[in-house]
Amino acid sequence: MRVGFIGLGRMGKGMAHRLLSGGHDLAVYDVATQATIEFAKGGAHVASSVEDLCKDREVVISMLAEDSAVNDVALGRGGLCASLPAGAIHIASGTYGIATIRALESAHAKAKQTLVAVPVLGRPDLAASGQLGLVPAGPKEALDRCEPLLKLMGRRVFYAGTKPEAASAIKLANNAVLGCAITALGEGFSLVRKYGVEAKVLYEVLTEGLFAGAPAYVGYGKTMVDESYHKVGSPITIGMKDAVLIAGAANLARVPMPSHDVYIERLLGAIAHGDGDLDQAALAKEQSRASGLE
Amino acid sequence: MSDATRLRVGFIGLGRMGQGMANRILEAGHDLVIFNRTPEKAAELVKKGAVLAPSVSAACQGREIVITMVTDDAALREVYLGAGGIRESLSPGEIHLAMGTHAVGEIQKLATAHTEAKQILVAAPVLGRPDMAAIGQVSIVAGGAPQAVKKCDPLFQVMARRTFQCGDKPEHASITKLANNFMLGCAIGSMAEGFSLVRKYGVIPQVFYEVMTEGLFAAAAYKVYGKIMVDEAYDKVGFTTLLGLKDFGLIMAAAESARVPLPSGNAFRDRLLSAIAHDDGNKDWAVVGREQARASGLE
Repeated sequence: MRVGFIGLGRMGKGMAHRLLSGGHDLAVYDVATQATIEFAKGGAHVASSVEDLCKDREVVISMLAEDSAVNDVALGRGGLCASLPAGAIHIASGTYGIATIRALESAHAKAKQTLVAVPVLGRPDLAASGQLGLVPAGPKEALDRCEPLLKLMGRRVFYAGTKPEAASAIKLANNAVLGCAITALGEGFSLVRKYGVEAKVLYEVLTEGLFAGAPAYVGYGKTMVDESYHKVGSPITIGMKDAVLIAGAANLARVPMPSHDVYIERLLGAIAHGDGDLDQAALAKEQSRASGLE
Repeated sequence: MSDATRLRVGFIGLGRMGQGMANRILEAGHDLVIFNRTPEKAAELVKKGAVLAPSVSAACQGREIVITMVTDDAALREVYLGAGGIRESLSPGEIHLAMGTHAVGEIQKLATAHTEAKQILVAAPVLGRPDMAAIGQVSIVAGGAPQAVKKCDPLFQVMARRTFQCGDKPEHASITKLANNFMLGCAIGSMAEGFSLVRKYGVIPQVFYEVMTEGLFAAAAYKVYGKIMVDEAYDKVGFTTLLGLKDFGLIMAAAESARVPLPSGNAFRDRLLSAIAHDDGNKDWAVVGREQARASGLE
């Protein structure tokens, strides 16, 4: 297929490499031109602009960090809507808010193009090895056309429905459950510590019992036990950005989410105490601060 | 089993959990005396060689370790404090092994009372269901004086798959057990929120279930309770909403007395209360999924 890829960050880089090694005709674009060098060597066409990238493409994938970035790329002058041929597909793969997805969907429809949302689950190493979880949603015919690409990028594909926003909702809800798990872990550790039990004991009880096998608990719990908050996977500020998207989705759909509200409050408190750049597991530190333990 | 390793054990409280646990001790060859308020529940064990005591006091006579597996704090006080209770009947130097889920404050008071009577309290609440207790596959969290905990170890080995040493005070075990239940409740509450959110966007709950349980949440807590929510099988009751509220009462009391704010726990407790207000008290506590849906205008 003739594929374009925009956004060669840590995740995008791995995904784009999978497409290239799968034998597809790949064009890439990134504002940081440095990131494109390895792709030029690998035989991809390096586009000079979004407009240039869109030429003759059947599918363009965007993997960008923020709603504002995908809005610019898709809706701006020389952007995807203006430049993609009619009938082409835009796969939006970042984690975006519902309102953004709806705006993109209708703008593409007006330009006779199709939006498919495919948020991804997993880390950069999984992206590089094609082991991501993918959550696609969009019109069936468009999803069918994207399938060969999805199979190269992901180990497991969870079809969410025919409306792109359904995929966003799943990704956001998954992040919400994760945020709540991190918050609750912090609370659990503070509770036992106040009674003189070592955090490690509760960690073992949880991860060898009801929560055995869950990377959320095994990973974040370990960081809390070790208090190794400076080894950052996903920082608190990124958690906050996603939490705002989740709260926005909940507000639009009229879903009260009290546990998630608690998570937002703890994120805010952590940022207020200067811990915004620490790993999200540092919510345990914020919780112990609230408990008079720090 | 040689006389040297054979323990003289008393067992009080033969509910669904207690029966399985007592049976494991008996089958391992220990000398077992049992007591239950309704003696019918002891019949099976008596057939296998356990001695049925007519009273709590008789179940304590000549025993090195007396286990209590009773439903709540009131029942524990009754067998411990009353005339002919464990306090009066257990010899000095012997061990009371409390295996129910009790308030931290209750266990602290009990520990003091035992110390005064020169007896030893070990708390060792159990994690797991009756079917797991029957085959020795529960987990135990143990807390108490190291020598006493060590003495109980042969019993832990036949009753449980794994025993976690929580610390040298009985309350260490109680709080660890409560924290485990706390984590489970919070997981249920947040999953319920996730399901309501995706449903409002037209997603089939099963899809979200798969995303969670094949990813970050590939664990029993999410698989078991997520499945109940997907199937809306709230009538197949493992653990009721009312019992959940009781547990969260114990958790919040322990948190209050230690000065630990638990905002996630408060949010979940309120959902339990609302579920009970909507007559779902005797449903499985995963019915919080329905309560959340109700709060979201989905029911």
